Amino acid sequence: MSLIHIENLAVYAGNTELLAPISLTLEKGQRLTILGQTGSGKSLLAQAIMGNLPNSLRTEGRVTLFGEEVNAKQRQRFWGRRISMLPQEPWNSLDPLMGAQQQLEQTYRMVAGESAANAQQKAAYTLALQGLQDSGHKRVDQLSGGMAQRVAIACAMAGGAPVLLADEPTKGLDVSRRDQVVQQLMSQSKQGALITITHDVAVARQIGGRMMVIKSGELLEQGNTSDILSAPQHPFTKALIEADPVNWPDKTPASSHKTPLVEVQDLTIGRGNKALSKHLNFTLHQGEVVGVVGDSGCGKSTLGDTLLGVHQAMEGTILRHSQAPLHQWQKLYQDPTAAVSRAVSLATLLEDTVKLHKIDRARIAPLMRQLGLDEALLQRNSEGVSGGELQRFCMLRALLLDPVFLFADEPTSRLDPITAKEVSQLLVDVAKQNGCAVMLVSHDPDLIEKRCDRVIRLDA
Amino acid sequence: MRALLLKRLLQLVAVSWGVGTLTFILMRSLPGDMAYRIAASRYGMDAVDNRAADLVREELGLNHSAWSAYWQWFTDLLSWNLGNSLVSGEPVATQLWHMLGHSVVLAVAGILLSILIAIPLGLASAFKGGWLDRSLLMVSTTLRAVPVFVIGLLAIIMFALEWNLFPVAGFGTPAHLVLPALTLALSLAAISNRVVHTEARRVFGSSFFEFARMKGLSPSQTFMHHGARNIAVPVVAFLGIQLITVVEGVVMIESLFSWPGIGHGLAHAIFARDIPLIQGAALMMGVLFVVMNTLVDIACHYLDPRGGQLA
Amino acid sequence: MISSLSRTQKTGAGLLLLLVAYAIFGPMLQNGDATAQDLNHILTPPNSEFWLGTDHFGRNMWIRLADALQLSLMMAALCVLTSAVIGVTAGVLAATGGRWLDRGLDALVTMILALPGLVLVLIFAAIVPGSFWMLYVAISLIQWIEYFRVSRAITQRLTRSPEVQSSKLMGFGQWYIFRRHYWPAIAPQLFTIAAFGAANAILMMASLGFVYVGIQPPLAELGLMIVEHFPYYSDAPWLLAQPLLLLALVVLACHLMGRGRTQ
Repeated sequence: MSLIHIENLAVYAGNTELLAPISLTLEKGQRLTILGQTGSGKSLLAQAIMGNLPNSLRTEGRVTLFGEEVNAKQRQRFWGRRISMLPQEPWNSLDPLMGAQQQLEQTYRMVAGESAANAQQKAAYTLALQGLQDSGHKRVDQLSGGMAQRVAIACAMAGGAPVLLADEPTKGLDVSRRDQVVQQLMSQSKQGALITITHDVAVARQIGGRMMVIKSGELLEQGNTSDILSAPQHPFTKALIEADPVNWPDKTPASSHKTPLVEVQDLTIGRGNKALSKHLNFTLHQGEVVGVVGDSGCGKSTLGDTLLGVHQAMEGTILRHSQAPLHQWQKLYQDPTAAVSRAVSLATLLEDTVKLHKIDRARIAPLMRQLGLDEALLQRNSEGVSGGELQRFCMLRALLLDPVFLFADEPTSRLDPITAKEVSQLLVDVAKQNGCAVMLVSHDPDLIEKRCDRVIRLDA
Repeated sequence: MRALLLKRLLQLVAVSWGVGTLTFILMRSLPGDMAYRIAASRYGMDAVDNRAADLVREELGLNHSAWSAYWQWFTDLLSWNLGNSLVSGEPVATQLWHMLGHSVVLAVAGILLSILIAIPLGLASAFKGGWLDRSLLMVSTTLRAVPVFVIGLLAIIMFALEWNLFPVAGFGTPAHLVLPALTLALSLAAISNRVVHTEARRVFGSSFFEFARMKGLSPSQTFMHHGARNIAVPVVAFLGIQLITVVEGVVMIESLFSWPGIGHGLAHAIFARDIPLIQGAALMMGVLFVVMNTLVDIACHYLDPRGGQLA
Repeated sequence: MISSLSRTQKTGAGLLLLLVAYAIFGPMLQNGDATAQDLNHILTPPNSEFWLGTDHFGRNMWIRLADALQLSLMMAALCVLTSAVIGVTAGVLAATGGRWLDRGLDALVTMILALPGLVLVLIFAAIVPGSFWMLYVAISLIQWIEYFRVSRAITQRLTRSPEVQSSKLMGFGQWYIFRRHYWPAIAPQLFTIAAFGAANAILMMASLGFVYVGIQPPLAELGLMIVEHFPYYSDAPWLLAQPLLLLALVVLACHLMGRGRTQ
């Protein structure tokens, strides 16, 4: 008897098909990864399987759980006990007013039917197993993203459900945290079946098992994960895999950089009274691309703000060897939509900059061509263009100022992998042509490896 | 929390200073011999003569510069020497004490009644939606557009004058309390039922509420353990904001129903230009307002361990 | 601009426009003035001569109501304008102008909020009885706080945002940042606050009239009219209904306009 069997499951909004019919079967001990970009309909599939789609949507097809065909309503009594779903954003999925251990205890007591004393013991044991023995009393706002994810996984599994659906379980986590979560999912699912939904090729590779690739609600291909990853059939799958930084072509060898731009001596950076990284020593040269890596909270963004003079250093000295005026020290932001005013069109914003610094208008068109920006985009405001286009617009604005230094704070982490690959390549190329030093921050060591001349590692 | 209490303490000082200053200006701007009128308020109309007035003039510094008079005014206020009413001649403090009881009864009855109306209606409309939600929204919008004294007026016309169910105005029996309390409750519930509704919808639609179901809790368990408190926190914070409506409502309702509370006293004192009573009543309302706000702060702090920064 | 309004807001705006038109042009359509008494024609029901009838002194209700409405709308407009200008300016300055200014303004707000608004207005009204301008000062004194708080909160959030940091790094000045970042974020909120503020100002004035400490007779004022007409409620129910209805309509129009995007 298969644990879960789905036949031609499809999702509709009115008469519009959001998810084309999909069939799948999972036996005990099997793992399935559904790979697709944001908006590809993969979350709809998870909700359709669980039976918690919004009322405005309609499903067709048959779902059989543990040999029993069940409609969406009937599936509710399986929740937590036979089939469980791990939410996308665990920090929004735990009760904000209740301690972590209490929530876990409650699940053991009310779902698994343990006695109060047993539930307490089990909850404490499970948390200790996840290295959270000291965090049981903490509420979600006191937990880090990775900790919240581990608590959420424990809660989802506490009812003893053999089938686990994980919807983007690694979203927003650092690489090291991501690997921990994947390990936890794998070990917890040995006795059952695991369905993981992700956009991250690296996660799919780690989980192994079988894989389905979805794009705009259509199944493109399926098969063994290792087979698909090594020999993808569909062009989209190919592009998706190539967009994983591990598979990027190696960088062109760095030209030698001699003229120093900024010299940092014994620098300690921090927010408020809290030091984030201590005793940093490095020299940045003109036209050089330097990567910055480190776990979240180690002060990567603070380092940028300190170098740019926006933020005070706690100790140490920053020596600028260049006489370049302040506006030639620029920054690119993680979320371009938060970094650009949405009140007026992009053309107006560009015009503002051109006027302020008396920039030669003749330079705009060639630079836009180089960045792959269409003239027509400028008539819209920041909400009317895609994230990748907006990030390139930000690059355009920054480059027009002839920067000597550009701090790029995870400039591609909010972009889909294919766009991220393009934009990061463009950034490095254009900066080098213009003789601008770039400091590129990323949580992905592979990306840094492929794009940067050398790496600075920050430790928390 | 300490910063918050400190802020409330600052408010207490501000109330005393503000009310004192405003009533001082009021006194100086009145026509006629102020000293004579105040002497009369202290010693009674019969006992007052020019000598007594001169004594008061000396004492309050009314014959001195405005600043020393102002200073004198405050020392009186700080020693809780509120004087006598210019109208009745009775000590203001005693009068306030009587009024306070009535106001508190009205306010408490009104708030409790409004909670009894708002919470079930707000939750029901959030659960059911549809026609119940739409009709409640319409009734709430209409009631909000009508000032509280109009609600009271309509209540009087309907329940007292037309159907003779309750007395028109006055006090003494529980029946007298019904219409004023109902009026206050309706004006409060018109807003608070929508707040309960919105907060309940927010919680019902939240990821943590859905996840609680996903991990296996029943709908009622989910509501009890993860719904109720999360809805309560912002609702209690909102009740704090609504205290302004309570106090303002009490002023209007008491005047309308001749309910002998502080609001009624204040409105009458202003009409009669009875300065000591204006000062006393305003002071009392301000102090009460700050104290009630502090209680809400403490309740929020207790309900919301995150530090109660919601309001 | 108009197309961005919701249907509820358009209804409110339409209603308000109608009321404004009545307040301004209504009195021109009938002869006489708001205070002229005619004891031969008291409590006349609405007819072709007196479109809305006459009150207990035989005064023309069509004109009186329009006058009262004019007064209410003028109060609302003045209060909204004054408190918005002061509130937004103070809010933006508090968020950008340094610690002490922020603390000072915060203390001032805390002090004003220590007294319920209506009580404060009552005391102000007592100082100069029956004065329109005193009411205006008192109501504005209370209402600027809402604009202050909202614009301060928005500005504070934005000063730390990437968009403002980015503009600063590019060398733009404070005025530019206000124009491109602060103001566009504050403006949509202002509309809601202003709509509810206008309603509140109208209610506040009517409340004071109702307890006889606001605008004094024989001037026409909605709250005052309600209390004056109450004794005749069984002889002339329409007389009481008119100011009641008008007051509710104008407040409703404001509330409808303020609702919308947020709900």
